[in-house]
Amino acid sequence: MQTVKMVISGAVNAGKTEFIKAISEIEVVSTERRATDDTKMIKKETTVAMDFGRIAIADDLVLHLFGTPGQKRFDFMWEILSEGMLGLVILVDSTRPETFRETNRIIDFFVSYRDTSYVIAANKQDRPNAWSPDELRLALRQPPHVKVLPCVASDRDSVKNVLLELLYVIQERSEE
Amino acid sequence: MALVGNIKDFGLSDFLYLVDRGYKTGGLHLSHEQETALLFFDKGKLIMAARKPEDQQADLLVRLGLLNGDQLDQARQSLSTQGNGATLTQVIVDSQIASREQIQSVLQGFTEESVYGLFGWPEGEFRFEQNQRPAPDAPVVPIPISVDHLIMEGVRRIDEWGRIKDRIPSTDMIVRFLEQPDERAKGVKLAPEEWRIFARINGKDTLAEIARKTSLSEFDVCRIVYGFLTAGLVEVRKKPPVAVGRSAADAPRVKKSLVNRIINRIKGM
Ligand SMILES: Nc1nc2c(ncn2[C@@H]2O[C@H](COP(=O)(O)OP(=O)(O)O)[C@@H](O)[C@H]2O)c(=O)[nH]1
Ligand SMILES: [Mg+2]
Repeated sequence: MQTVKMVISGAVNAGKTEFIKAISEIEVVSTERRATDDTKMIKKETTVAMDFGRIAIADDLVLHLFGTPGQKRFDFMWEILSEGMLGLVILVDSTRPETFRETNRIIDFFVSYRDTSYVIAANKQDRPNAWSPDELRLALRQPPHVKVLPCVASDRDSVKNVLLELLYVIQERSEE
Repeated sequence: MALVGNIKDFGLSDFLYLVDRGYKTGGLHLSHEQETALLFFDKGKLIMAARKPEDQQADLLVRLGLLNGDQLDQARQSLSTQGNGATLTQVIVDSQIASREQIQSVLQGFTEESVYGLFGWPEGEFRFEQNQRPAPDAPVVPIPISVDHLIMEGVRRIDEWGRIKDRIPSTDMIVRFLEQPDERAKGVKLAPEEWRIFARINGKDTLAEIARKTSLSEFDVCRIVYGFLTAGLVEVRKKPPVAVGRSAADAPRVKKSLVNRIINRIKGM
């Protein structure tokens, strides 16, 4: 049995859990992790959900989807998650410009050392005041060759489309 | 639909870049404590900036000494006889009440100063109403103003690390020109110090090395490079890890057949 994995990342509340839930064939497993919140200088126990979804491709092949915890202090988990990943979806809450910088840091983390195939999903396009994919491309300073796709994470077809667009990027770079 | 946010999170220079590259037309409404401001853009260029409600009025032209009250009345009258799309300043130029150059120079100066003041705001709500246009008799500049040098000017006024650190987390990063240098790079006006740094950008030196070679402080180098970044002229990258870096950078190639299987499966879902 071969497994391949894709990573779904993005800031807190971007829609990662929703995205994986929309497409996974199993109930999304959220592994609760105990961690100490020191970002706010408050020593307080918090739990972090890391999502896991699964799609059987064939008897001998399965696709795993991992959602990353958004907070910066879980970098070490990102490192582990990103090992050997096929591709990456960066989700952005298109209605919250205050998360764009954090999104850039996340992109930078995954993309700057490795040659990762990725797409950006401009999520929550169903909400009023959502920035359009074109606007997000400019706001996030993404070059023209990076796909910035409209997305509604609760809508399965929309999620399918994002995954397919990512797979086309991977396909372009795959070998015969 | 409106674009809303806070300039604390999405800076004014970032917004100007978005307006410029997105060829946006509309009105940008800003508010910070008791202050408000309203900027109008036409296809990515600035045409008006008002820090006070009265600066949106035609009277501004009189206050700036461009014409007197009678001339303004006369211009308003001919504006009312014109069809859609005519602007007061265009009417003034056409009827030779004042020269285009004179209006441009005075109004552009006023408009730019109004914007520069906004860069000092530590935070402020913004709302961009797409396709909103100024009133026909509003004091818009005859020739729309390119926002590039407004961006650089805004960055010149940054005096703290906070904002810079977001885009330039360390002085170990390498600066290089974007692969497709834009036509606009030629149009940007740089101060001598900025030129010194611009000339040092070679895609190899780190910010710290540039600081050493130019004898400028690391803060100044980062601030200026931040300006180039914001104006979309350069990019900064982490220094690739030496030697072992190669293999890590080249992701293992996957087989096309495998990818095709996944594609077919997801298509069928
Ligand atoms: N309207 C709308 N709400 C969404 C969408 N995606 C996620 N949400 C909501 O946004 C919130 C955060 O989503 P979640 O998946 O928990 O974000 P996570 O922190 O990235 O895992 C939840 O209330 C979701 O129901 C979307 O596309 N449209
Ligand atoms: Mg979640």
